[in-house]
Amino acid sequence: MTHLTDEQLEDILQGSIPEPEHVGNCRVCRDRLIEQAALRERLTSAFAPVRAGDALRERIGRDLRRAASPAESKSGDAGRGHWSRWAWPVAAVAAAAVMVFTLAGIYLATSEDASAAQAELVKIHQHNLSSEPSVHFYTDADPENISHYLKTQLGFQPALPRLGQGMSLRGCCLAHFRGQMVGSYVVNTPKGVISIIVVTDPPKTLGMSRTFEHDRQTFWAGSFAKSHMVAVKFGRFTYCAVGETSASHDMLTDILSRLVHPKP
Amino acid sequence: MINISQSDIDEFENEVLQHIDSVCRAAMALCRERQEAEDLVQTTFLKAMERFGTFKKGTNGKAWLLQIVRNTWIDRLRHQRVIGTTVRIEDIQLAERPAAEESVWSNACDLLENFSDEQVINALQELPDEQRLTLFLVDVERLSLRDVAEITGVAVGTVKSRSGRARSQLKSKLATHAKELGLTGR
Repeated sequence: MTHLTDEQLEDILQGSIPEPEHVGNCRVCRDRLIEQAALRERLTSAFAPVRAGDALRERIGRDLRRAASPAESKSGDAGRGHWSRWAWPVAAVAAAAVMVFTLAGIYLATSEDASAAQAELVKIHQHNLSSEPSVHFYTDADPENISHYLKTQLGFQPALPRLGQGMSLRGCCLAHFRGQMVGSYVVNTPKGVISIIVVTDPPKTLGMSRTFEHDRQTFWAGSFAKSHMVAVKFGRFTYCAVGETSASHDMLTDILSRLVHPKP
Repeated sequence: MINISQSDIDEFENEVLQHIDSVCRAAMALCRERQEAEDLVQTTFLKAMERFGTFKKGTNGKAWLLQIVRNTWIDRLRHQRVIGTTVRIEDIQLAERPAAEESVWSNACDLLENFSDEQVINALQELPDEQRLTLFLVDVERLSLRDVAEITGVAVGTVKSRSGRARSQLKSKLATHAKELGLTGR
């Protein structure tokens, strides 16, 4: 007797095919089907009580409100009336309260310029800070080794800053930004640790609100989750310097100004 | 600034935000820490907002959102591997390994009722990464095999075999607990 294959069993469970006559005659297949269906039902019922709590809904609602354009945010009643449909009972109170959410070590009571892109950049920086240099292969203070490593991983050599003035390289790592693999490297500075994240997205798409000229180049600056960041287009890529608030925008700009084209 | 208009927000709410509970369930299935799960939910919605322009109206908003959950989670796993934080290598090794041969439970429904919801969810969380996600999408969210295939980036046949294997592994985990509780072998 040929028993049901796993695929047939799955199709029956899904209701894609009717239960074949064989199931009625074969105790083995019948029991397997009952067992798989029972597991499926139990799994469903185990998750049934899981719901987003009010605090989480509020947090996401806050993100969404901030993501809206300033004009929309300031338009007032229409928007708020709409949000009330979202049934956040504490929304009115919460909007007035200063609420601090610590998630994965990141302060997420964001600035007005918060965006998903900046959140991702800060996360990459946070991950860079959390790595333990002594145990990772990618830890290296030698610019050539870092360049070589990133080239083998990314297919190109990112520009590195001219060092000196108390700055040194700590290492590099790969990360994902907007679903793409990107490279980042870490610079020790007298003002703290800075991550330079190299992305292909143009600076203007990264949600940084302020632009300024420096050394005939346009820079973008922003702040998010207790971090400062500055971005500049250099060659085909955008270089984003991210540091804690101890690293001023000027200092980040200075580091980015020190980028030099890699050797061919 | 993402610059979403009010009409975009309305649409986002109707098409995407209504699935917040599904995203929470997915995050709970994928993450072992509550805080990590909440972080995943929040990041998912941030990304969804940013990418809402790519969402095709009238398509399955839940599947679109769960794909973002999956991609965000995969990014984190990859990142953890790169920076060397804890990653269970056995997850990778076990992922495609067939489940061990197990006898069929004769009283599956009754037996399963002895486990709390938390025990069932914990058992699911012990499964290898892709099995865990696949089983969650198929059995909990009841997405079509085609949608699950699209979300997980594999063929429909792979979804079928993977979910079958995952259920078998889930059963193995629960059987171990059942023995410890003295619920089987009597």
